Amino acid sequence: MAITRPNLLTNAVARQKYGQGVNALKAEFTGPTTASLGIPGAPKPVSTYDLFVVWHHTAMSTMTPPTQGDRNAAHRGPVFCPWHRFMLLQLELNLQRVLNDSTFGLPYWDWAGDGQKTASQQKKSKVWAADAMGGSGSPVKTGPFKFKTTDPATFRVRIEANVNGQLVQTNHGLRRSLGAQITKLPDRADTASAVTLTPYDASAWDTAASGFRNRLEGWAPPMTPALHNRVHVWVGGDMLPSSSPNDPVFFMNHCNVDRIWEAWLVQHGRTYLPPQSAPSFLKGHRINDLMASLVSAPMKPSDVLNMTSSYVYDSLAV
Amino acid sequence: MPTPRAIASPTPQSIATYVTKNAAHVKRAQKHRHGTMESVREADYAGHHIVVRTRYQVEVDGHMLMGHMGVTNDGQVHYHPVPNLAFASAVDLVKRLIDIFPDDFAKKGRSGMGGMRMGKRKNRQR
Repeated sequence: MAITRPNLLTNAVARQKYGQGVNALKAEFTGPTTASLGIPGAPKPVSTYDLFVVWHHTAMSTMTPPTQGDRNAAHRGPVFCPWHRFMLLQLELNLQRVLNDSTFGLPYWDWAGDGQKTASQQKKSKVWAADAMGGSGSPVKTGPFKFKTTDPATFRVRIEANVNGQLVQTNHGLRRSLGAQITKLPDRADTASAVTLTPYDASAWDTAASGFRNRLEGWAPPMTPALHNRVHVWVGGDMLPSSSPNDPVFFMNHCNVDRIWEAWLVQHGRTYLPPQSAPSFLKGHRINDLMASLVSAPMKPSDVLNMTSSYVYDSLAV
Repeated sequence: MPTPRAIASPTPQSIATYVTKNAAHVKRAQKHRHGTMESVREADYAGHHIVVRTRYQVEVDGHMLMGHMGVTNDGQVHYHPVPNLAFASAVDLVKRLIDIFPDDFAKKGRSGMGGMRMGKRKNRQR
């Protein structure tokens, strides 16, 4: 039976379990080390949660094809939606495992709802309360991911991307600077207009493409960064580099992105572009190409176009 | 309509196995560095084929940035380590990098070098 993914703001149990599950995955070490992943410094075990950081960064560093510098194995091209759906599924399955709760559904942050508020009110949303994601700061000092210098068991960023685009070891508390880089979140008008766009994607299949994917990812005019990108930038801190899954709110953002894609699929049909017959320079983005994986067997975009037997959202009102 | 594929539930053992299998690709991505960064933009117009090659070599406090900087057909400059941002100006982009990566741009006089994890400059010619 399908599980239900709830709104973070209206489901206190999901909020509490998400924090608990993320911290459990942060404390789980299944064998991989920094050395086995080519991350410099003294070898240290890499937690299951931090493997998702490595996975995201590595996919983003894999250019598709290697001869160009725009499209990569998870972003700036058609595979953006299905690849992140694949990633969310894997995180959700692992959260269910460590929570011993097969009914747990990943909560989403309906950021366009907060986007209806004033800039000042947005920073005071319930999302940033101590019983949700915690607040802003460097480090964050409230909520389930708060940092205490004297307590090594508190949430710490252990692996991050540096300015040269390489993963390095680190040890600091979570950093956020809500509304500092950009003052307002996307709003309902932004999401509503995105969902009307067809087709799913179009030539040149990159950040200049027309269509739904490029608008949802946040590259398309009239306002950039928009939608998904804008949320990363608005949260700031550890949400900005390619190691952005370091902030657990990454998954709340992407769960909402996935919900918006689901709303589009329901409205326009469960279709995807480009087809498998597209030229080889789109390898990695075609409907039956294998998507970049790290912690599981790979999936294809065609595997994730209809997930209704696995999960549904409590609402597709975007 | 495509049918959903059965998704295997992960275990600590399955995670370790898949990460071992994929580790070589992670290591290769770790070695992916630039220095001088070239973008090639191509377009066809009125029967003519246009190729625009743009090369970036960026230094901060004498240290070269080693990530990939590129420019899209609409002229927006982007840099892989900050995947959600694009700029009209490469200078503005680098200013933002200094804000986003405070640990990589330690202040002069404190660390002895402005950019402790950046590449060493090989020559001053551009």
